[in-house]
Amino acid sequence: MQMDNFKNPRDHFFKEVENLNHPNEELVKTHCSYCAMQCGMYLRVNTKTNKIIGVEPRYDWPVTLGKMCPKGVTAYQQVNHQDRILRPLIRDDQSLKGTKEGFREASWEEAYDLIVKKFKGLQENYGKDSLSVYGGVSMTNEKCYLTGKFARVGLQTRYIDYNGRYCMSSAAGGLNRSLGVDRGSTIPWTDIHETDCLFIAGSNTAECHPTSMFRIWAVQERGGYLIIADPRETPIARRADVHLDLRPGTDLALANGILHLLIKNGHVDEEFVKNHTNGFEEMKQVVEEFTPELTSEITGVAKEKIIRAAELYGKAPNAIVLFARGIEQQIKGVDNVSAYVNMSLVTGNIGRPKAGVATITGQGNGQGGREHGQKADALPGYRKIANPEHVKYVSSVWGIEPEEMPKEGVSAYEMFGLMEQKTIRGLYLLCSNPAVSSPNLNYVHQQLKNLDFMVCVDFYLSESAEFADVVLPTTTWAEDEGTTTNVEGRTIKINQAQKPLGESKPDWQIQVELSERLGRGKYFSHLKTARDINDEFRLASKGGYADYYGATWEKIDKQDGVFWPCKDEKDPGTPHMFLDKKFYHPDGKAKLFALPYRPSAEEPDQEYPLRLTTGRVVYHYLSGNQTRRIKFLRDMCPDPFVEVHPETAAKYNISHEESVRLFSRRGEAIYKVKITEAIRKDTVFVPYSWGHEQSINLLTIGALDPISRMPEFKACAAQIEKIDMKKVK
Amino acid sequence: MNKRLYLELENCIGCRSCLAACTQCGGHDERNRNYVYDVNPLVNTQTMPLMCLHCVNPACARSCPAQAIQIHETGAVLSALVEKCIGCQNCTIACPYGIPKFDTEQNLMYKCDLCIDRSKDGIPPMCASVCPTNTLQWLTDEEIERKQKQFNVKNDKWVTSIHLENETNVRVNLPGILQGITKLY
Ligand code: SF4
Ligand code: SF4
Repeated sequence: MQMDNFKNPRDHFFKEVENLNHPNEELVKTHCSYCAMQCGMYLRVNTKTNKIIGVEPRYDWPVTLGKMCPKGVTAYQQVNHQDRILRPLIRDDQSLKGTKEGFREASWEEAYDLIVKKFKGLQENYGKDSLSVYGGVSMTNEKCYLTGKFARVGLQTRYIDYNGRYCMSSAAGGLNRSLGVDRGSTIPWTDIHETDCLFIAGSNTAECHPTSMFRIWAVQERGGYLIIADPRETPIARRADVHLDLRPGTDLALANGILHLLIKNGHVDEEFVKNHTNGFEEMKQVVEEFTPELTSEITGVAKEKIIRAAELYGKAPNAIVLFARGIEQQIKGVDNVSAYVNMSLVTGNIGRPKAGVATITGQGNGQGGREHGQKADALPGYRKIANPEHVKYVSSVWGIEPEEMPKEGVSAYEMFGLMEQKTIRGLYLLCSNPAVSSPNLNYVHQQLKNLDFMVCVDFYLSESAEFADVVLPTTTWAEDEGTTTNVEGRTIKINQAQKPLGESKPDWQIQVELSERLGRGKYFSHLKTARDINDEFRLASKGGYADYYGATWEKIDKQDGVFWPCKDEKDPGTPHMFLDKKFYHPDGKAKLFALPYRPSAEEPDQEYPLRLTTGRVVYHYLSGNQTRRIKFLRDMCPDPFVEVHPETAAKYNISHEESVRLFSRRGEAIYKVKITEAIRKDTVFVPYSWGHEQSINLLTIGALDPISRMPEFKACAAQIEKIDMKKVK
Repeated sequence: MNKRLYLELENCIGCRSCLAACTQCGGHDERNRNYVYDVNPLVNTQTMPLMCLHCVNPACARSCPAQAIQIHETGAVLSALVEKCIGCQNCTIACPYGIPKFDTEQNLMYKCDLCIDRSKDGIPPMCASVCPTNTLQWLTDEEIERKQKQFNVKNDKWVTSIHLENETNVRVNLPGILQGITKLY
């Protein structure tokens, strides 16, 4: 492909539209701060005050064409929000941990001095690994990369992990072992509306990735089919050709049941399976028993619907399978992912345009952030810390001896276990709010309280910051620049629209300055701008399979983004994966996995007869630390609620809007009832974006997938109790 | 080229991005002027937007004793003129859809003006710019005609403004767009 005139494809939705330019305003080209759709937007900046004052659609962004959900429209309101932390905060009285109280403002110098003294003290007394870093992927590749280096070279600890463990780890695990590579989507999003059958499992796409919806509806308008697997009749399921309304936690049985029928109906692409995959016979043996009858019995989905879905998917000339946290946040999340990838492999629906598989990545940089070394077992470029060759290369880029590279750490949730055992005594938390987003919160809060010393870096005082000794003010996305990698695997550019508010500093700068004070300056002091980090990070990724070396900022700008892998200056990037039918396993073949069904960690029983599942609403993003502060979003959805089917409600004698007590073996909370027929009778749903006593994660279970270490947020057992108002009074 | 707001109600997912975007039009004082309704609360997730249809002979303007509601040359029925509006709320009562909203503090009616500083130059209004589902679109007459042909099924599912109060500048396609579609296989 000729690099000079290459541009990523625009499709028939694209229209030339001029933007409205108000007087005394500049439009700064960027992308939304929230989810991995990374919708294009312009920030309106007043040229007199240099402040961001609004948003303008970016009609020329080929993925989303100016479209935004309400979070994106109001995202700019985070920047100059009254809740911004403007100076470092120190809390001297440790007894106030777990509350908002006791913080005083301090200078950066005082805060740095305290952190250095405490970190050094802990490491002298308890070893280097007594410190830990807990990161996040709602930040740029440059920051994610540097956070990994900061932990391993700056702090010299093995314990680093990140919030993607609660988000993308099962998808990553499943894609890696099935395809040999974890590029979340094998196709660009501009293919979606052109496929003939979309099979979407465990994704409330209309609320979580709304700007995919115009492409998804277009499949149906062209006469194509939409199949949705979800326990709830979400807005996308409402219009589906087939809605597979399964019991939460039974996805593996459903996928096996579809595979059973694909084989039985002769929809297997024999050539493709023979030439490009391994493991068909073993897989066939396992799915043999998943007849429509058995599948229906396990999943609770009517037999006819399963048969119809398998027929539509099997007959489709081109089909795409999409999945998200619904199938991934389970103790068999990795198996679920591989089972759905099996579907596309046996039908040969992969490795060509308009056919493929994708996980719909959650966080803004959920893709890039998991590739460059924030994960307990990973180094930049998706290298492995367990691989000596990989360690050697990254050490050479970092200027350390390979022996100095800390070993593999543990996953996010397991770090709390190490805090309990006092193996981990200090925590540097950034870009994440685990005091809301972790499962089994009563336990997690206890461990955060037990820490000897905790630093939280954020731009608002999050629920997690309430456990910190020092809070450092960082910038919002609009006050720094860098790259993110969107849902498609397309690297894009975030631009600075305003100078940092107050004394806030970008995360990378804080890490460089702290490293210098910890005596590790020689590895960090040359990084003076985000661009310096980009240069180093592209080099560190070079030769890894998530190779960004050729994805320069100039190329991103010129081509409307760069899909990785992008190996050098001449390489325009890789919008479609596997066009040569070469998968990333050593023999070039993909692996079909034989996956026996197993139940969830906690199945409903007499004491806890209801299936509890969690998710999001369109107005709130992840833990809600940002969106709960934005007036429009808060007005639209101020509080969480519990969705209950009317028949279930009648059984419990509870009514719409009534407050009820919802409880599990681990915790309880009070919610208002939302009656809806759009949920299974055996299931209740609560959105998770709220903190303190409103957190549904007080109830969820800390059971982990054995491979991805992903907690099972999507299925645990719970019970409802009517609140006796006489007693309350 | 003259463009119109065009609605395909079946696509709506109730994200209310159109309302959020409405507050972001420079001329809208950060107040949204349209509505999104839950069609079947307690039953399913179906929603629909209710937008000003910009009637060709608008009841709101006709009912205004102070002639505060002007009609722009593009056909957009504008928000009440601050200096003329007497706050009688006749317009809200006269409008068959109850579109005009009322600010009790300012004693002033306000309503959708199709983001007139955008739409007068052919730039889509904020709601149609952001709508993630193409429920709200900004199309030329030719494009609308093509849509009408595509969805023109014999069972009266295509409903244009003719069946509403009177002739309107905004074109609406009531639920049913998928009924006329021939499946690919
Ligand atoms: S939250 Fe996601 S869908 Fe909504 S505007 Fe931002 S990037 Fe787009
Ligand atoms: S933005 Fe579009 S999809 Fe969302 S509520 Fe408005 S009309 Fe419906």
